[in-house]
Amino acid sequence: MNPLTRRTFMSSLGAAATMPIFCTSGAAAVGPVLTRAIPSTGELIPTIGLGTWITFNVGNDERLRAARTQVMQAFFDRGGTLIDSSPMYGSSEAMIGYGLARTKRSALFSAGKVWTLLKPLGVNQMEASRKYWGIERFDLMQIHNLLDWSTHIETLKTMKAQGRVRYIGITTSQGWRHGDLEQIMRSQPIDFVAFSYNVVDREVEERLLPLAAERRIAVIINRPFQEGVLIDRMMRYPLPPWAAEIDCANWAQFLLKFIISHPAVTCVIPATRRVDHMEENMGALRGRLPDAKLRARMARYVETV
Amino acid sequence: MRSFPFTADVYFSLFETYNSAIWPAQLVAYGLGIVAVFLALWPLAKGRRIAFAVLSAFWLWNGIAYHLMQFLQINFAALGFGALFVLQGVLFAGYAVSGRRMFQFRPDVFGWSGLFLCLLALVAYPLLGWLAGHGWPRAAAFGVGPAPTTIFTFGMLLMLEGTAPLYLAAIPLLWSLAGGSAAVFILRIPEDLSLLIAGIVGFGLLVWRKLQ
Repeated sequence: MNPLTRRTFMSSLGAAATMPIFCTSGAAAVGPVLTRAIPSTGELIPTIGLGTWITFNVGNDERLRAARTQVMQAFFDRGGTLIDSSPMYGSSEAMIGYGLARTKRSALFSAGKVWTLLKPLGVNQMEASRKYWGIERFDLMQIHNLLDWSTHIETLKTMKAQGRVRYIGITTSQGWRHGDLEQIMRSQPIDFVAFSYNVVDREVEERLLPLAAERRIAVIINRPFQEGVLIDRMMRYPLPPWAAEIDCANWAQFLLKFIISHPAVTCVIPATRRVDHMEENMGALRGRLPDAKLRARMARYVETV
Repeated sequence: MRSFPFTADVYFSLFETYNSAIWPAQLVAYGLGIVAVFLALWPLAKGRRIAFAVLSAFWLWNGIAYHLMQFLQINFAALGFGALFVLQGVLFAGYAVSGRRMFQFRPDVFGWSGLFLCLLALVAYPLLGWLAGHGWPRAAAFGVGPAPTTIFTFGMLLMLEGTAPLYLAAIPLLWSLAGGSAAVFILRIPEDLSLLIAGIVGFGLLVWRKLQ
């Protein structure tokens, strides 16, 4: 079988117009936006956010900036609010600021990161990020990949106490740091934690997700599609007919709903550079979610194919 | 591997912006490169500093104007690369000031390989990019872009009179391996296979010459 990517799959949809599972639109599900409460305050946020790793690092190219602005508008139009970025992502923060100045929205939940050594560099970096975004303050500031976390956590506690940031958190996308992350979750008063989780990478179900629930820490999930590898792989196979039971019209929604249906997950942040992919992703923000039994069936199906 | 901070499209776009901003520095770089090759083919006693000064200017320009002022926008690693390129430029500047060494083509395997690499950087590299569908201005240009500059440097070092100090080839080798492999295997830029091969073959020849 020839490799089929998400892009080629979308372009061939016309040929599959008679197949209801394949051809339904990205935003097929209806109903209210699915939200989850941030445990430390009870504030509700939509369960699908916007990640910006790679996809928003477009430099100063006006053509690419305009395209990403359209992606942001599609995200806001479909009920999204949480955008996540980091100084590590090159020009992504500048792109977000560019897009925020050119989009209409009802709400924004800004999730930034600090990614450097030493307190003064961290303070300067967070201020630079704030200016790039063009916002008064970040809703959430996270320590990226645990870098110099013991220094930055004190800065963040102070900033939160002063009202300069609403929530604080810590992130990793590296599985080998989960032990350290667990210790921080047990010992520090953080509001958010972020790590990787998807239907095939489920190690965090054993310890980190239950611990987050126990400690009342909100969870942001990164790399839901394994940076595209997982969804490109799944595109080779038909979506199971029973995916309609949870209002999934495509693989993106199938994979995202598996994640956000975990009771400890607050939000997932898929990244995309395309409006049609954004529409697909945001389709998972409405409709029914799988129960535990169906989640197990979803995982088994993906393992099988 | 997809954990790379930018895509090929963004990379080419960056070159388009950069090449437009620095025009006509590319023409000056070509002129300087041709002068350096001529001075290796027909050495002049008074010109022995010039070729080193040209190499120094190329590496300093690439470190500051390309890595630190341009590439850093999309890749945090450009900070380190920029520092290394500036260090390489300073090393060549030291040789230009001292005037102790000179370039002199010899019709042996090292000389012909060096001349081949210089022509590769000057002529073949931009043609390969054009054939791959992303030629000027969406490509690294000679002397002001790191890939052709590095290939050219290996070519010149192979034409150095006597044996070249290997430390002069260390940073070019590092860029060939790091930049070349990322460009070829992650960003799928076919012409940068020449950078990877030039680094491995060029450094290998320099070591072989040293051992002779």
